[in-house]
Amino acid sequence: MVMADAPPAFTEVGLRYTRYSEDSLDDNKLLFGSRDRYDIDVTQLWIEAPLGANWSVALDVQNDYQTGASPWFVGAQVDGQPGVIMSGASIQDNRVEVGVTTRYFWADGNAGFAVSHSNEDDYEALSVAFDASWNTADDARTWTTSFSSSADTVNPTQGTIPVFIDEEELDTQSTYFGVSQILSRTAVARIGINYTYSEGYLTDPYKLRDQRPDSHERLAFAAGYRKFLIDADASLQIDYRYYADSWGTDSHTLELGWAQNLPQSLLTPYLRYYSQREADFFSVVAEFEQPYFADDYRLSSYGAVTVGARWAVTLGDWLLELEAERYMSDASWGLYAGDEAPALVDFWRGTVAVVWRFD
Amino acid sequence: MMAPPHLTKAFILLTPLLCGCTTIEPVAPFERGYLAEEGMLWEGSPRNAKLKGHVYTSKEASSGGSGAAGGGCGCN
Repeated sequence: MVMADAPPAFTEVGLRYTRYSEDSLDDNKLLFGSRDRYDIDVTQLWIEAPLGANWSVALDVQNDYQTGASPWFVGAQVDGQPGVIMSGASIQDNRVEVGVTTRYFWADGNAGFAVSHSNEDDYEALSVAFDASWNTADDARTWTTSFSSSADTVNPTQGTIPVFIDEEELDTQSTYFGVSQILSRTAVARIGINYTYSEGYLTDPYKLRDQRPDSHERLAFAAGYRKFLIDADASLQIDYRYYADSWGTDSHTLELGWAQNLPQSLLTPYLRYYSQREADFFSVVAEFEQPYFADDYRLSSYGAVTVGARWAVTLGDWLLELEAERYMSDASWGLYAGDEAPALVDFWRGTVAVVWRFD
Repeated sequence: MMAPPHLTKAFILLTPLLCGCTTIEPVAPFERGYLAEEGMLWEGSPRNAKLKGHVYTSKEASSGGSGAAGGGCGCN
């Protein structure tokens, strides 16, 4: 939102718990292994506080605990249909991410610097990011830019399925430039462009038939619109993204939300539609005589619909947030042609957060 | 390098959106009350939005659009 810039007027302490749960794989798509897929419990703890007249600082700690099985490769069933061989026994993994962000505010803008470290049994990432926003003299337009760099190390763990590497590196640089503009006293819009370049080990070590290029360029154009409807006492939210990458994938994402003001709360049901084109080297059953190949369902053509709602309740200095969503995917819902990957995923995500704000 | 047709298509798709934003009314600071409503924020809850985006990025081939990418993870 376009406003004069100042540090937060209060200290905020928050705790959030999120449960992510994938549906089990259908019997008729399983060739071997466990039907159970991933469940993840995520706990986020943060504190954000003003520091003097022009600064703020935030500390974020996140813990993810993951259990379940994942698709290992796709083969042919007795009837000739593709079937998934799962990773077998349940995998357990714990990830801890710690991040510190400092931000400086001046009359017409703000700038932030963030450092983050993520560590899990088989993956470590260290990233730094810089962002800045500045307003025009009438505070009606805000320009925003950000840059980030991440150095990752992959150390796959030998478990129920064999892996064929010990340690690999991946470096990622990303940049964003965008602008938001007040259109009227009830409407605001923004557009932005984001370019990301990764170089290093991009193959999934836990998939048997997966060999990807060692570089990946990604480009995303995004546009957003917010309109406050006075009679309804509600905001219409529209967000769109077009994405294209150097692996031949492109996609459309459209999200619509309706933020309804209620006594002491805000209820926001939302609907998201997503459709992607398969990567050049994807096939339902991997063609491993090619230089690059993958049978990863995440690289296939499909469409997905998410239905969800968020409810934020304010009680004095306390804020309670609840959100739940259902994600469903199907090859026939997509805008692009392509055979259906049998491991397409449906999931539930639910989250609850308690936030305390004080002077 | 990235295939040029993708870029061309992106510009074609976004042009109408950009043109649709050209109607701009001057709005005085005291008229910005509705713009400050919670529902008008780009991200109502930034940490929830980050986690939600992280889930989508882990399960879809696409990512980005609202800022520079963060650090990676072994999420699969």
